[in-house]
Amino acid sequence: MCNFLWLASTEGIGSYAPVLIQLLIAGAVVSLLMLLTHILGPKRKTKDKLINFESGIEQIGNARKPMGVKYFIVAILFVLFDVEVIFFYPYAVNFRELGTEGFLAVLMFVALFVCGFVYVIKKGALKWED
Amino acid sequence: MSLHDIIFWILSLWAIVCAIFVVISRNPVNSVLFLIATFFAISGHYILMNAQFLAIVNIIVYAGAIMVLFLFVIMLMNLNTDTEPQKSRLVHFAALISAGSLLLVVLSAFRKAELTQIPVTDAGDIGLIKVLGKTLFDHYVLPFELSSVLFLAAMVGAMVIGRKEVVEEKSTK
Amino acid sequence: MKPLIATAVFAILMMFAALTVKEKKSFTHFAAILMLGLVGLNVWELADYNRLLASAQASPDLFGKMLRVDNYALWFNVLMSSCSFFYILLVGRSIEKVGVHVGEYYALHFFILCGVFLLSTYNNLLILFLGIEILSIPQYILSGSDKRNLKSSEASLKYFLMGAFSTGILLMGIVLLYGAMGTFDIHGFNFYATGTLNIMGVVGVLFMLVALGFKVSAAPMHFWTPDVYDGSPTPFTAFMATIVKVSVFFAFMRLFMEGFANLDPYWKVTVLGTITVLTLLIGNITAVYQQSVKRMLAYSSIAQAGFMMFVVIGSNAMAMKGMIIYAVAYTLATVGIFGVLLKLKDYTYDGFNGLAKKHPFLALIASICLMSLAGIPLTAGFFAKWFVIAAALEQPGTFWLVIFALVMAAVSLYYYFKVIMAMYFKTGEPELITPVTTMDKVVMAIIGSAVIVFGIAPDMLLAWI
Repeated sequence: MCNFLWLASTEGIGSYAPVLIQLLIAGAVVSLLMLLTHILGPKRKTKDKLINFESGIEQIGNARKPMGVKYFIVAILFVLFDVEVIFFYPYAVNFRELGTEGFLAVLMFVALFVCGFVYVIKKGALKWED
Repeated sequence: MSLHDIIFWILSLWAIVCAIFVVISRNPVNSVLFLIATFFAISGHYILMNAQFLAIVNIIVYAGAIMVLFLFVIMLMNLNTDTEPQKSRLVHFAALISAGSLLLVVLSAFRKAELTQIPVTDAGDIGLIKVLGKTLFDHYVLPFELSSVLFLAAMVGAMVIGRKEVVEEKSTK
Repeated sequence: MKPLIATAVFAILMMFAALTVKEKKSFTHFAAILMLGLVGLNVWELADYNRLLASAQASPDLFGKMLRVDNYALWFNVLMSSCSFFYILLVGRSIEKVGVHVGEYYALHFFILCGVFLLSTYNNLLILFLGIEILSIPQYILSGSDKRNLKSSEASLKYFLMGAFSTGILLMGIVLLYGAMGTFDIHGFNFYATGTLNIMGVVGVLFMLVALGFKVSAAPMHFWTPDVYDGSPTPFTAFMATIVKVSVFFAFMRLFMEGFANLDPYWKVTVLGTITVLTLLIGNITAVYQQSVKRMLAYSSIAQAGFMMFVVIGSNAMAMKGMIIYAVAYTLATVGIFGVLLKLKDYTYDGFNGLAKKHPFLALIASICLMSLAGIPLTAGFFAKWFVIAAALEQPGTFWLVIFALVMAAVSLYYYFKVIMAMYFKTGEPELITPVTTMDKVVMAIIGSAVIVFGIAPDMLLAWI
């Protein structure tokens, strides 16, 4: 049933078995290690030991503090350029076959982004102190 | 049931349950974590459809970058106390009715829908990076370029909204 | 597609101007020059296309059928860029006062125009989606650009959240249509391919209807409109309410006329008719109760959207003419009235009291524009309403709809004339925040005379169709 949903051949999924095994082993190792340290390590629970570690300085308030808008600008710019880079993967694979036309298309795409990048730098969005 | 069917049902159940928890969990950070889990389930679906590139991009961009941004926003809003405005019962009821009727309409429409006419010719490897790249830079080259214009607009927007209005402050001083 | 590329290039130029230029005034001059260049490019494109058409070399399909150009769409682009030019001349001075990022505001306007040109020529649902996004994202920013004003921030956030939601619905509709039809090409849709109505396609159409209805603020998807239009900085409200809204309507009409042409017309009339009735009713009735003229204009823009819905219902040759005339009449009149509003300090009706005594020219232009919005004969608004109603009447079963629209047009007389009455028959001391310059007077005179000229000879606007 629901055959319309997958267009891949059935043996395609079988070829993911190594990936699955690797994932399982990675997960198993991590959880095993965490479990072992939990069981084997000595525990001394005092009030001072249980508070969050803040570089040895005494805790002030909690983590939910409004923070500077600069972080957001950096994060937004990161997302934008991240998406830009994603577009390069399919181009890189087809680099030869797409020829000049494909190259020009990507060049234009990059040119627009470089304009944006220069603008962002000149605007001082990445300057931390102002 | 083939292996495909089993994986499909597991992933679907996973995606739906996690999506429901995104909506109903009280703590917004939990919502984001459930959303990430949903994205992983959807990536699994992509792999089932042999769209490996989309699966990886989905994890890199959505689960990686955009969810971090989400967490930032949640941290920005001072959610120490339960400040969520309580809507009246009537609003809840109206929302339930309208969402329920939408669900009914869509479900009943899809039960009757004929899906046989989707062109599935050699679509098996459309999600592979090589085929995707060829289509993207050949047939869909205009949307590709336009997306960069869109990003540029977003970049300018981020600057307008996010930058301090420094000049103004100086002039008022 | 010279103008399309030019919008992106001009936007980048404005961005870099924002980095180097310090003087705020020069931004407006620069933007006006670029906008004039854009008008020129659009005219060139139109002439070029016709030259090629004469030698049978012109191809309507561009970029692998992503875009489809014709005289009609190119002419619409010419008109919209011209309106944007007058808009910048008229409100440029006020844009400078919104905040410090003046160059960026203009850059965002050029990005919006990029979306406008995409929406007028799209042939593919993907381009429709990208066009709407390129059009919307700068709007979210512009509506929140007055950062010291809490209402502006609220408008921006509200618009962004609801707009993002409606974009999601639009995408869902596109997905369903693609699933049902197997193509993104709007000329490739056939709802009866298997002999019976394709239900999944119809659900897709409904989703797209809701999403586009949201963008043009048709009821019951209009809830964001009053708050956003009221909260946004006034010059940007003028842009959002006119050129942007009209362009989305253009895309809306093209989608239903070309894409969904073989849907049952009865279905179209029933669903679209309900939306039209609601839009007209809510827009007009609520506008009556407003105290602020700016908010009244927000509701009036909903009411006008109700009339423009007739274009979508009609979806015929007459509707194409009506779209052009309505677009120009509504845009010019609304930009004109916002131009007057921007000069005033007080946006309530009382702020208009006695304007005719103190500033007769402003009062005259405002009256012409308001009368055009109300659809009084000898103004462009009359023929605009005439054409869209004639277009709707060509569809069977729209008679009651037209009667209802006429009643609502009568209601609209009340709130439009309330402003005119305040200006001419009440006494008061209207305060201006900026003096009326010669430039303002010239642009207002052009807008006012254009409204009257197109009201006498609307065929001038149809020369290229």
